[in-house]
Amino acid sequence: MSELTKTKADLEDIESVDDSPVMDGSDMSSAAAETNSPRLLKLQDGSEQARERSRAVRLYLFLPIIFLTSALLGGLRLAAPDGAFVFVTPALLCLIFAVFMFALFIRGGMISIAGWFSDGAPTVQNVASGAVLLTAYAATAQVFNSLIPETGLPFWVVAFCFAWSLWNNLFADLDNKKLLRSMIALFAFAFAAKYIVLAGITAPAGEGGWLRSLIENPAKETMTWLLDLPRYTAGTGYIQFFCLALYFAGLYILPRSAR
Amino acid sequence: MKTKYIQTIGVAITAIYGLFIVFLYAAEPRSLEEVTTKAKSAVESTVTKGQVLAGTYEIDQAKFGEGLAAFRADNFVLARDRFERADPEKRDANTQFYIAYSYYRQGWGRVSNDDSLFKAGLDSLQRLPAIAPDFVSKDPDLKIKTAAELRNEFEEGLKVTVDDFNPLRLVRERK
Repeated sequence: MSELTKTKADLEDIESVDDSPVMDGSDMSSAAAETNSPRLLKLQDGSEQARERSRAVRLYLFLPIIFLTSALLGGLRLAAPDGAFVFVTPALLCLIFAVFMFALFIRGGMISIAGWFSDGAPTVQNVASGAVLLTAYAATAQVFNSLIPETGLPFWVVAFCFAWSLWNNLFADLDNKKLLRSMIALFAFAFAAKYIVLAGITAPAGEGGWLRSLIENPAKETMTWLLDLPRYTAGTGYIQFFCLALYFAGLYILPRSAR
Repeated sequence: MKTKYIQTIGVAITAIYGLFIVFLYAAEPRSLEEVTTKAKSAVESTVTKGQVLAGTYEIDQAKFGEGLAAFRADNFVLARDRFERADPEKRDANTQFYIAYSYYRQGWGRVSNDDSLFKAGLDSLQRLPAIAPDFVSKDPDLKIKTAAELRNEFEEGLKVTVDDFNPLRLVRERK
């Protein structure tokens, strides 16, 4: 009976708040303080703590896993014809491009350094924030590793295009959303160039030697030789698609500030 | 759960996952089965390196025993394999001496020596002075007891001299 009375009292408290005009957190706190209702304060604290917990889980557990998975997949290729794993380490250029991207994120307002690190915050929080941003950086470098062809002329052509775009964007006045949209467009184009166009003109790995391959597939074999294209199975494109999807999902979830 | 615990767990998970990715890119396994094999060998290597650092490194006596038995049975390829497994860090002077000796015995010939085996033996002997400069073998079956003597045998065996055409060489014995 007493439990029922308690619940009723709680409901009345909540209803009294519901009836009032829309208030933000501070208004609610002051209202609670004014009405001097410890139950409402407790409820409010509870819901705030739950929200804080879920935000922390998303930020410090979920997000690094997304970025690290993207980093893992970014350098993974499946060699033709047996589908063996090939782990391609990122070229130095990918790391430099990732730094450019981070500069863009900061300039565009996607990441606020002051919002992630603070002298007033506990050390654990600063370290955890650093870990999240580090995983984001690793994923960015690996996404470049995924999109830039491994060797030969295509490597230099695509790298030059990336450098041009990034350099241009560094001086453009981009906001958060525009930057993300521009990045999706840029990366989607690079993905199509590598995994659809270049993969399309790469000759399949033949088992009968180069002469047989040349007779069976003269144009593709010549292009593969001229452009020094590596032979990967179709599965590589699918893996890299998921890598990109995960990366953008991570960027979408990544808040401007950890606070 | 408090936020700081979530943050700590997050850092730990990030570190473990990150190390796993670094391991994959360093070990470059070609299939999922190879991931397990390479992980096992990486763990073993880390453990032995840790033992070296802690000063508790010891050779695998069972494998050394197998190697010694194979060495005495003149099965030098098997002997070297077992000795190398017994001392993966190449820090035991006695085992390294046996490895070099096995090259000598396998490469020795009454008429002519196998130069490639003698060169390999000479190379493997390079490690010995760094491990134990004054090493002397206690095995009574070995006629060569020190690294200097063994090196001399290798070097003399690799040289072509007038003495090589001495017919008395046919009656010499393997040491």
